[in-house]
Amino acid sequence: MKSSPKMLTQVKQDEKEAAQKPLSFGLIRRLLGYMVPYAGRRNMLIGIVVVRAIQLPLLAWAIGAVIGGPVSRLDGMGVMLGAIGYLALAAFTQVTLCFRLRFAQELGENVIRDIRGFMFSHLQKLPMAYFQRVGTGRLISRFTSDAEAVRSGVQDLLFVSIVGGGQIIVAAAFMAYYDVVLFLVVAGMTPVLWGMNRLVHGRLSRAYRTMQESFSRVTATLAESVSGIRVTQGFVREDVNAGLFHDLVRDHARYNIDAARISGVFLPMLEFNSQLFISLVLMIGGWRVFNGFADVQALYQFVLMSAIFFGPIQWLGTQYNMALTAMAGAERVFRLLDTKPEWSDPPDAHHADQIVGRVVFDKVDFGYLPGTLVLREISFVAEPGQTVALVGHTGSGKSSIINLIAKFYLPTHGRLSIDGIDILNLETHSLRSRIGIVLQQNFLFTGTVMDNIRTGRPGATDAEVIAAAERLGCRDSIETLPAGFATVVGERGAGISVGQRQLICFARAMLADPRILILDEATSAVDTLTEARLQQAMDRLLSGRTSFVVAHRLSTILHAEQVLVLEDGRIIERGTHAELVEHGRVYANLYEQFIQSTSA
Amino acid sequence: MGMMVAADASEPRMGLMRRLLGLAWQYRWGCLRIMGIQIVLLTLGLSGLGLMGLGIDFIKFQMQEEVAVGAMAPKPPHWPFGFEPPAEMAPMQVLYIIAGGILVFALIRAGLNYCYSIWLAKLVQGQIVVDLRQKVYRKMQRLSFNFFDSNVSSSIINRVTGDVQNVRMFVDSVLVQSLILVLSLMIYFVYMMNIHPWLTIACLVTTPLLWTTTRRFSKTVQPAYRRNRELFDDMVLALSENFQGAHVVKGFCLEDEEAVKYERANTAIAEHKMWIIRKVSFFSPLIAFLTHINLFVLLAYGGFLVIRYEQAPDAMTAAVVGLSVGQLLVFSGLLQQFSGQVANISNIANMMQQSLIGAQRVFEVLDAPVAIATPPNAVRLVKARGELTLEQVSFGYTENDRVLRRIDLEVSAGECIAVVGATGSGKSTLMSLISRFYDPDEGRIVLDGHDLRRLDLEDLRRNIGLVFQENFLFSTSVLANIAFGHPDATREQVENAARVASAHDFIMELPDGYDTILHENGGNLSGGQRQRLAIARAILLEPAILLLDDPTAAVDPQTEDDILQAMEQAMVGRTTFMVAHRMSTLRRADRIVVLDHGRIVQIGSHEELVRTPGHYQRIAQLQMAGHGGYGAAAGGGA
Repeated sequence: MKSSPKMLTQVKQDEKEAAQKPLSFGLIRRLLGYMVPYAGRRNMLIGIVVVRAIQLPLLAWAIGAVIGGPVSRLDGMGVMLGAIGYLALAAFTQVTLCFRLRFAQELGENVIRDIRGFMFSHLQKLPMAYFQRVGTGRLISRFTSDAEAVRSGVQDLLFVSIVGGGQIIVAAAFMAYYDVVLFLVVAGMTPVLWGMNRLVHGRLSRAYRTMQESFSRVTATLAESVSGIRVTQGFVREDVNAGLFHDLVRDHARYNIDAARISGVFLPMLEFNSQLFISLVLMIGGWRVFNGFADVQALYQFVLMSAIFFGPIQWLGTQYNMALTAMAGAERVFRLLDTKPEWSDPPDAHHADQIVGRVVFDKVDFGYLPGTLVLREISFVAEPGQTVALVGHTGSGKSSIINLIAKFYLPTHGRLSIDGIDILNLETHSLRSRIGIVLQQNFLFTGTVMDNIRTGRPGATDAEVIAAAERLGCRDSIETLPAGFATVVGERGAGISVGQRQLICFARAMLADPRILILDEATSAVDTLTEARLQQAMDRLLSGRTSFVVAHRLSTILHAEQVLVLEDGRIIERGTHAELVEHGRVYANLYEQFIQSTSA
Repeated sequence: MGMMVAADASEPRMGLMRRLLGLAWQYRWGCLRIMGIQIVLLTLGLSGLGLMGLGIDFIKFQMQEEVAVGAMAPKPPHWPFGFEPPAEMAPMQVLYIIAGGILVFALIRAGLNYCYSIWLAKLVQGQIVVDLRQKVYRKMQRLSFNFFDSNVSSSIINRVTGDVQNVRMFVDSVLVQSLILVLSLMIYFVYMMNIHPWLTIACLVTTPLLWTTTRRFSKTVQPAYRRNRELFDDMVLALSENFQGAHVVKGFCLEDEEAVKYERANTAIAEHKMWIIRKVSFFSPLIAFLTHINLFVLLAYGGFLVIRYEQAPDAMTAAVVGLSVGQLLVFSGLLQQFSGQVANISNIANMMQQSLIGAQRVFEVLDAPVAIATPPNAVRLVKARGELTLEQVSFGYTENDRVLRRIDLEVSAGECIAVVGATGSGKSTLMSLISRFYDPDEGRIVLDGHDLRRLDLEDLRRNIGLVFQENFLFSTSVLANIAFGHPDATREQVENAARVASAHDFIMELPDGYDTILHENGGNLSGGQRQRLAIARAILLEPAILLLDDPTAAVDPQTEDDILQAMEQAMVGRTTFMVAHRMSTLRRADRIVVLDHGRIVQIGSHEELVRTPGHYQRIAQLQMAGHGGYGAAAGGGA
């Protein structure tokens, strides 16, 4: 092995997911369970598949029988009848093929659709922590590559194996019927062939894996080169990068050729095998015919039957590999389906429809991972209608407080209650419908602005959506978008400015008209005038609701009835802005610097 | 072969084809070699098949001689090229020779086949793909930002990966394969005609039917597959939005709506797929049935010919009027291979379509003009002083949309200029023009007395240190990231730059210090740390000019102060342009330029501008009223 070249980027080896898993009876049984709703189709398929396992050798036999029978007997009429019989059999075979293809694929498609649906509905029940832990990319691959692997397991593996296996057995029976000894000689080649097949497959899939890895280095480097193009050109690195990339591509080519070296053995080997078969049949068969042990007809049959007999051995190897891949996919899919939500509402949970919005933290501790607390002994009371500003460095625990109020996570210790009811005993769905959330990312779905605002209260009319924007004072600014409220935004939509995104998220929360509002103020990527505008909209949004704001702006803090200054997960100061300034401690210090820097 | 290409837009397609043929010509020897091997393989294969027929006929002949049935004389097999074995040779020996011949041919074939696949891989993956990728990448690195602005990154990446593979497909899978196909069909045809012309014609009558059915099949199914792919992409989009926006979904209780939305996308795929399945399960048995018709003809007509052969009074007439059993078996083998090749035609046609699409996208990159390049006889400027003059500079990204209008500005060496203005007022564009990422449409920018367009581009950019709003970091070591623009820098130089950028301390606290490998885009660093690394990267170049495009915009206000401090140290002794919003930052500049809709509306020091009614005063007042950044100062505390 040559050492891999110095790279432009170093791809960190993500914890890899196994590509294959050994066959497991439990997994197979569970997979078969998904076919139960389509049992009629499944049973027909099994029938069809058995018929096909007989048909295919029969077709080859028919040719041999016509040549060995009527043709050898010089019976012109018999030849004609035999040929017509062959055509009828062929037609029948193709008709069964039609249904075999159709039923199998329909079955696969139905099962996979069901499994995807189950996975999605199940995921909706899982808590935030799960999404964060697993990550979007992996979750998507459960629905794409893993689901596809499972599909092949459902629609192909079982049925193709039955056809293949059956075909081998029937062909073997035919050959044995014509000449047992010759058949035994030929059959002796089978284990050798199968073994070589497995050997090559194993080495080949390893070669493909290393090739895939080197390719992911190529694409990762490419992705970075595109994202970092400004830096590259700005720092005149074009030539250095091109040189490194060339090494990487050459390296990938080497793995590619290595894989070709292995797969290059395979095909010639199979071909050689079938030629070896023919010459064996000629030599041994010829000897047996000369000595009266066998009939010339048997030779015709052996020659014609060889493809039917050896073909499946070849593709059953591929099927076996597919089965292992399907097992790995199925295992991951089922693991997702089996993930239990870490908590669920108690059966007698209270409905939160009527809450007023009095939020009390009583000695709340919290950590995302066991053993590491990010919040310690948090206690405070937010009266209905109050605005609470959370101030502190990144990582001081502001976002965690918000996550607890939205019941995305549960406190590790202590008690968090709303209107005197422990949040554990509040029915999550109804609670969230009384809470509005605007987070920094300003997430928008692909769709129109109208639809995006409407997600705040599905079922709201267009007029209600516009009214909500009006109340925020941002209707005009949405109407200046290319297509107004009908402008398409999101991943595939038009680029809109950060400020506009935020206004849309505000409007979404406004439409929801919640009792409790959670707002993670965006950091300041906007110019001063836009900022003033957002500020105004925010004031309108907050008024009359119990609000928790991760504050980055002084005006927000000035308006807050309560400011909590956080550090390392603890509240180190609390009070109104005026009180805190008077205390003359950490907050006052911050404020002092701010005043100095803005006064000319 | 023209029929394989859809007639639409045939002109550019012809041009593309010509170019692709030119590309293939560059690799002509490699192509010829693999074609040569294929032809040899083919002949060897046919010879093996012929020997099999010979063997069967020989056995039959021997048997008939022994039995000697009635009037019909046994017919000796056709010995190839008249090599009749001597009469005294035992039949088993003859058989051994024939079987041995088959084995020898098979062995040679296996060896050649192996060589073929390796030579092919070496030619295609080792040469063509490497060359093309390198060419596209090299070119891409030099393209102006316009290209990157108008293409999403996944499409650019695809051009170097998938599209390049599609282009090479033209050489090995389209061009070489169709030449091989034509040659092999000819060889099969001649071979079969040689055995029996009428039988050949009778058996091949269905071939045109096979060809048209295959074509129709792929024409029906191809677009359907494409549509299915789109539906699938829609479903994945729905998924990824649901996962990325999980907090919105849960926060607004949208689980049920989302489930309905997903179910719709999921069912749409399944329903559409059912249509495809019905088509596929109709067409593929039909196509297979056509080859069975050939076999039927062979059995009926061929069987009749064998009878005629056997009934012929002697071997000579037999060969004229009929066909031996061995030949019939050979024929059935040939027919199957022939049909396989014909079905392959539609594969080749599809690959051709794909390679043309790929070629279009690859050539688009290769042909894109490099708008910004070093002129001939460029002025070298290894170390600039840093005097910049903008004279009547106007610029727009598109023709009718002016982003900068008639900008006049003179900056002396070492001066610090702050640029303010609303989003879209042209601040970042102004910065891009100074580092010559774009050229002005009108007017000129002059550095130390030279128009930027006259300067050696590399010299110019080496004289400029750049720090952006969001600075891309590569997933390699901290050291390599800082030394990005100056890969030969010593560790000491790097550490010094890091110290100036107040980055040294936090770097030393990283697990492996300067050798710590960064995650994708510096994911294991905080925003403030990333920006300070970017500043270190810029000052390692010892640039005469420093461009700071709002480096504090995207970071948490609490860490902003660290960056400001780094910026301030970096500015010492350099001409500096910085885009900023906050008063605290703006006050440090020698002069402030206020941009509005691409024009300079105000210019002067902070003190002057605050006193003059206008844009700047309004911004200042808004910020003082508290709409501005509390965060500007917050970082210093705690």
